[in-house]
Amino acid sequence: MKTESCRDRRPSLGAYALGDLSEQERAGLEAHLEGCPGCRAEVDSLLGVARLLPYADPDHFGPAPQPSPELGARIAATIGAERQVVRRQRRRRRRFALGFAGVATATAAVLAIVLLSGRGGDVWGGPEQHVRFSALPSGVEIDAVLEPHSYGTEIHVYVKGMRSGTLCRVFLRGAGGASVSAGTFRYRWGDDSQAVLSSALDLSRTEAIGIHAGDRTFIAPVDRDSAAFTDNETEEDPT
Amino acid sequence: MQPGALKDERDVREAYAAHSGELYGFALRSLGDSGLAEEAVQETFLRAWRAGERFDPGIGSLRTWLFAILRNVVIDLGRARAVRPRVAEGGIEPSVEPLEEALIAWQVEEAMRRIGEDHRRVLIETHYRGRPYAEVAEELGVPEGTVKSRVYYGLKALRVVLEEMGYED
Repeated sequence: MKTESCRDRRPSLGAYALGDLSEQERAGLEAHLEGCPGCRAEVDSLLGVARLLPYADPDHFGPAPQPSPELGARIAATIGAERQVVRRQRRRRRRFALGFAGVATATAAVLAIVLLSGRGGDVWGGPEQHVRFSALPSGVEIDAVLEPHSYGTEIHVYVKGMRSGTLCRVFLRGAGGASVSAGTFRYRWGDDSQAVLSSALDLSRTEAIGIHAGDRTFIAPVDRDSAAFTDNETEEDPT
Repeated sequence: MQPGALKDERDVREAYAAHSGELYGFALRSLGDSGLAEEAVQETFLRAWRAGERFDPGIGSLRTWLFAILRNVVIDLGRARAVRPRVAEGGIEPSVEPLEEALIAWQVEEAMRRIGEDHRRVLIETHYRGRPYAEVAEELGVPEGTVKSRVYYGLKALRVVLEEMGYED
């Protein structure tokens, strides 16, 4: 039964748990605890905390240390970069799957086909454009994925079936027909046939992507809403 | 998507905003080096993001899950540090604390930060500095019984905070 003496004694229970009571106070309190399960339970609860106190260092009771303000951005950037790698791996797997499925019809196509929806749409959740070149010589496949960035456009070109060693120059064509270089790569048969390039032209202003392969040129429209066109030279065999 | 799972960058940002302070505090307490502690927090969120779909809120909170990952990261970093050549800082070798003790130490220190100033003050003066209750009472200008009472309620408050942080006897 809780009595007045419990209320009086409760404030001493903390000092008791910490071993701070005098011998006389301790003896008096222990006599009370013998017959008071409520105070006994309270003491046990406080002893559980008191046991932990020696682990702590009072020099560490000040304001909680904080990581540098840049840490969050660093983590976001690292995760973003890793996500890009995962997306590229998925894209490559998808590209090869599409390659096998589409090989029979690719040579018959007259116009380049934008596989995905127009500006802003794609099946991986990003704003990239997936472009397949058509009207290519038999055995040759080219497709590209264009990703928008603040600096311009990142371009992944996938090539298959050309003559090994063919120098490829990639460019983007903007509104009005002006071309902006995206760099060069040399196709090597048997290598990983992906090249990663970049151009200063914004993807939103890009109407077509072109590749000079050797002395031939192939062009594919980037946005299906824009006028699709091909280059006369695509009839020639680039391999 | 399961609630709380780290499936995309936004989930990670939210989890970082909610838990990075505590995770960093524990990492720093365990590793004793701010650079390593940030490395540990970064690795924790990376691992959490990679395994985001495996997080099951039915088993435990996101915070508990992140702490479990951090614990493994700290163990890994501790092992990596153990094989590096030691460079003494200021001539003092950093002490290596067992991880469980470091976790308890951090929890108590964090709990101390969260209880009231009056309670923290008397616990520091009487318990950590070993000063007599009467002396502390005089310094604070309160009766000795008040100091005793603050020690009692301070311990109770610590217990509540520790339980909120997941501590169990």
